[in-house]
Amino acid sequence: MLKLAWRNLFRHSLRTAITLAAIASGVVGLILSGGFIHDILTQLGEAVIHSQTGHLQLTKSGYERSGARRPEEFRIHAPQAIEKRIADVPGVVDVSARVTFSGLLNNGKADLPVIAEGIDPAAEARLGTYLMMDSGRHLVAGDRERAVLGSGVASSLQVAPGDTVTLMANTDAGALDVLDLEIVGIFRTYSKDYDARAIRIPLDSAAKILGSGDASVIVVSLARTDDTGAVAAALRKEFSESGLEVSTWQQLNDFYAKTVLLYERQFGVLRAVILLMVFLSVVNSVNMSLFERVAEFGTMRALGDKSSFVARLILTESALLGGIGAAMGVMGGVLLGLLVSSIGIPMPPPPNSDIGYTAHIELDVVTLLAASAIGFVASACAGIPAALRLSKIPVAEALRHAI
Amino acid sequence: MRSDEHRTTVVAVDDVSKSYDLGGQRVDALRSVSFDIEDGVFMALAGPSGSGKSTLLNLIGCIDTPSSGRVLLNGEDVAGMSSDALAALRARMIGFIFQTFNLFPVLSAAENVEYPLHHFPGLTRRERSARVHHYLDVVGLTEFARHRPNQLSGGQRQRVAIARALVARPRLVLADEPTANLDHRTGQNILRLMRRINRRTGVTFIISTHDPKVIDMADRRIDMEDGSILRLGVREGREWKYAFDRRNEREALADRG
Repeated sequence: MLKLAWRNLFRHSLRTAITLAAIASGVVGLILSGGFIHDILTQLGEAVIHSQTGHLQLTKSGYERSGARRPEEFRIHAPQAIEKRIADVPGVVDVSARVTFSGLLNNGKADLPVIAEGIDPAAEARLGTYLMMDSGRHLVAGDRERAVLGSGVASSLQVAPGDTVTLMANTDAGALDVLDLEIVGIFRTYSKDYDARAIRIPLDSAAKILGSGDASVIVVSLARTDDTGAVAAALRKEFSESGLEVSTWQQLNDFYAKTVLLYERQFGVLRAVILLMVFLSVVNSVNMSLFERVAEFGTMRALGDKSSFVARLILTESALLGGIGAAMGVMGGVLLGLLVSSIGIPMPPPPNSDIGYTAHIELDVVTLLAASAIGFVASACAGIPAALRLSKIPVAEALRHAI
Repeated sequence: MRSDEHRTTVVAVDDVSKSYDLGGQRVDALRSVSFDIEDGVFMALAGPSGSGKSTLLNLIGCIDTPSSGRVLLNGEDVAGMSSDALAALRARMIGFIFQTFNLFPVLSAAENVEYPLHHFPGLTRRERSARVHHYLDVVGLTEFARHRPNQLSGGQRQRVAIARALVARPRLVLADEPTANLDHRTGQNILRLMRRINRRTGVTFIISTHDPKVIDMADRRIDMEDGSILRLGVREGREWKYAFDRRNEREALADRG
């Protein structure tokens, strides 16, 4: 029967080719759009990890809720010892401390409230590949009393690299302290809000103004983003009794999870549309070629075939069609995906950002399987109505259809 | 040839009527038809189109069911059998030959002949191919075994169809206007071939036709008209002896009137 179905499929090779093209292009469309969305989400995830939060952050319990208002109450004392313990956990490549405090930045004429971050320049350089410099350079190890400013901060205060600004902040003891900082660079991230408020200074300069070596957060980078959950669990176990809280980058970037959900909804609709399109186009062409063969099915049954055999033959044919079409679609999708990725898709800046980026097609097994399954299922199901109808036509009536 | 008295009945048609709806109108295709067909005969079912001969052939072939009356194949009443049971019955008892040949275009001549054998899973591959070879030889197409139907002439296609009808060794072969799509000489040859097979193997042939050549070769004839049997003849030498002839009744009526 398989042989018969196979040969029947190719009796009108042009028609079959067109049907296959419909199935395959549906599958290709799903693979490309799925891979594209996958890539956007991955890049977005990597962007927030590398520009801001890292993979995991350890903070004092409660920092997330009220730390921004009273940062001095949620400091981690002696962070170096904790950093050492974290570095020993498998999968961790980098650990660094940050201390966050609010202050006023003065250019000699005006003040601007800012969020200052004391960072370890060497560690941030390894993590922060998404921090793009508009002008000047990054902070480097050994910089003292220097700062990089977010582009929004720089334009508000109308300062440029080389200028000096004064940072005013409360010490942990409650006194007011000032520090002169030389601007070495202006940076830009994917978040405009962040750029309008943030300045970064070396950790030891922050210690000087705050009067302590405490940290607000300990930022952990991992070798692989996929390990986030496992390492988070390991760290929670390790620090279960020390009053520290472990947050993953997904928890820290609430908008990311919402974006993923939004894209997945949209993609689900796209999938349904393509499923329907493939289904309808295969129904159409399968019906066309099957109704020309009514007399043939009549002959088969006159020669002793049961109507269920005829139905099975029709279903086998459309399933074969779906299988071949899906396989062609996967091959075409992978090839096209690789081609598009090698060229790259220039993307406009995402919301809240000034920088565009280059998207690719990320091909993963799940996308490929889902796309080919949709192509296969749509065309296999397309045979069902015809199979039901044709196998029920009385034999004598079927035979009267001219060949 | 065996004498008529020892022949068994292969088909019995008992008071069969068939009517169907055609655009809201009731059409009586067959009205109360009864006759028996003995095993091994070469029978012509004659009559103009619309006389009911195709309907009758479909009923005998179990691809249609009577509105009333009974059709018995080998003494077995086919009424009330499920469509799957009828399919199985057709597979082992009946061979079909069609006016339009109805070969499977995607299969070679040999594969077309082999097709009905897929209902006989007990046959080995070797037995199958021996049978196919044998029947291709019977119809004289051994060298065309690998040809597809569209590479064969009309006469050759009908020969393949005959081999296909015989390959399962049925008791009965039904041919619906087998010569209508063939030229005179080819049709003649096809009929001679069927006649020869009938004589050699004893398989019963029922051929619906309005071709006088078929009637010339037949040893039984049923003439149909308006859904009824007009006359039922048995050949005696070169003459027909009519067991039943409604034409006489009609003439008698006309004479009286």
